[in-house]
Amino acid sequence: MKQFFRRRATLWMLIGFCLLLGLFLGLRTGLFFTGKNIVNILEANSFKLLLAIGMTFIIASGGIDLSVGSVLSLSAIFTAITLKQGVPVWVGISVGLLSGVLMGLINGCLIHFTGINAFIITLGTSFLYRGLALIVTRGTPVSKMPAAFRTFGCGDILHIESGVYMALAALLIAFPLLYKMRWGHYITTLGGNPQALRRCGVKTGMWRISTYAVMGFLAALAGIIITSRLNSAEPNAGLNMEMDAITAVIMGGTPLHGGSASLAGTAVAVLLLGTIRNGLTLMSVSSYYQQFITGAILLCAVVTAELRERRRRLH
Amino acid sequence: MKKLVALLLAAMMLLAMAACGNEPQPTPTPDPTPAVDNTVVDELYAAFDKSMAEQLGETPAPNGEKIGAVIISLSNQFWANMKTCYEAAAEKLGVAIDVQTGTTEGDTQSQLETLMTMADMDYSVIIVSPIDGTNLIPGIVKCNEKGIKVINLGPGVDTAALAEAGGHLDGKITVQFSDQGKIVANDMISRLPEGGEVAILQGIAGAGQSEGRTAGATAVFEAAENIDLVASVPCDWDATKAYDTTKDILTAHPNLKGIFACNDVMALAAVEALTAEGRTDVLVYGVDFTADAREALKAGTMTGTMSYSSVKYTEAALKLAIAIAQGKEYTEPIYLPLTLVTVDNVAELDNWA
Repeated sequence: MKQFFRRRATLWMLIGFCLLLGLFLGLRTGLFFTGKNIVNILEANSFKLLLAIGMTFIIASGGIDLSVGSVLSLSAIFTAITLKQGVPVWVGISVGLLSGVLMGLINGCLIHFTGINAFIITLGTSFLYRGLALIVTRGTPVSKMPAAFRTFGCGDILHIESGVYMALAALLIAFPLLYKMRWGHYITTLGGNPQALRRCGVKTGMWRISTYAVMGFLAALAGIIITSRLNSAEPNAGLNMEMDAITAVIMGGTPLHGGSASLAGTAVAVLLLGTIRNGLTLMSVSSYYQQFITGAILLCAVVTAELRERRRRLH
Repeated sequence: MKKLVALLLAAMMLLAMAACGNEPQPTPTPDPTPAVDNTVVDELYAAFDKSMAEQLGETPAPNGEKIGAVIISLSNQFWANMKTCYEAAAEKLGVAIDVQTGTTEGDTQSQLETLMTMADMDYSVIIVSPIDGTNLIPGIVKCNEKGIKVINLGPGVDTAALAEAGGHLDGKITVQFSDQGKIVANDMISRLPEGGEVAILQGIAGAGQSEGRTAGATAVFEAAENIDLVASVPCDWDATKAYDTTKDILTAHPNLKGIFACNDVMALAAVEALTAEGRTDVLVYGVDFTADAREALKAGTMTGTMSYSSVKYTEAALKLAIAIAQGKEYTEPIYLPLTLVTVDNVAELDNWA
């Protein structure tokens, strides 16, 4: 119950921030509350939501993944290079997604079997994957994707890019997966009390590794969306996106030590961060302010969550 | 068991790497079209050589010099190409060269470390292209102390700060970044007789190229009577940011007539965003004349970009380095002639590199 309330408090505060920001932007510029602009915000954040959903799983299970941006870039490059050979589009997409899963599996296996901290392992693999992306492409983007591929990644469905539907679908699948099904219970327990899980005779390795595989899959999907939007796969794509994802997850109320997860909070935080950037551009305000505002909201969110928790412990 | 697993993992990674090694390398091959009319390119090269000869004067033949170059990042197409050009020019002139770089484009500290290490080696001259105006200053001072000549190529070193630290540059060769912005802005205005709203997509705030190009273009736009500069947003040379920013700018200013992006990567992202919005009436300009920009210009989706020959640039830099190593002194910076490439002349520039 305590956990539940604490999570909700952060969530409501974020929704409050969102509404205030929306109200402010709506009053300042009539352009904000137009269908077109809302669609723009959704499209610009679809791939960020995919990454943040994966990161919610990882952080809830007590892990961290710093290699997300690199996985995104390398799997997108594999997709692009495969497509350049003239294979059917579904083959290229499968190659990309499978390579993402494989990279996630490598992360997970290294973490589980060596017992080394996830932070260190994924820091290492992030350089490894990024380095491979640069070696394979020699720093040059792979551009000119087939039209069918671009339809898959950013085709127009009811005036909204397909990436948005993918992100929403991922979110809709993630909710029951995390809160209703065994997978979700096991991975959150893995973050909160892995001993208990082991005493129940659960082999924790498989579950931990699976979170990284899921993250790899989602990162590869995000890479496909980005590549089809830009019509080119860049070795520098996704730079620092792992930090954006971690920021959204923590801001949304999932504790860094794991044990619980707030998917709704993650989704709202992604939306809030996206709205800030959009609003600043609409108002022609320098994006220098963006980092400052992001930092302020992040601190507000975690400090209030912590204070509430502490007050409740005292009573 | 654990050892077995570790072995398996190691094998897996090696396999993965080997598999990657077999991927075909998508190198940007120059268009193999020998039948093309080369007069325009030849004229440009001749004008370039003339301008360089005027500024450099007589340059001596190399005499066993060992030249070092510190560039910005190999993860950036432009600089990866510069490394290739440096090495080709060195072979042509008959000097030894080592081209080094920091790890990533934004890593000012690792670039400095590279220079510090090189200062302890036996180079006669080091050509530096700093990430920002101040990050290489301690390294340049160390080179000065060791008697290694230092030439600044491209983005400028903050000379006031360098002097304060007790250092100096022995030579400078660069392009006028503000001129790149000015030329592009003037061409855009000439194609907008009715005037209208325009926007700038900047690179990383504080980077010399980005600030120079932005300042040059901004000055021209503001001086023009019927042109309204409605947005100027840092997009960090990042295609994804440029794409989404373009969409946001279009929302706020649907009558937008022109976009100047501070490099071609961002310009091409802006083109994609415009295409997605179904807009074909916005003029898009970039800088660098990359292979992809060349195709976009031919297809007419981009209107113009700024270019200068990297082949000639590095050759001139090495000639300058040899001359300085042999005691010649230059008080004035060497400026490269700039070329505006547009939809009108791109077909004539097939062999321009």
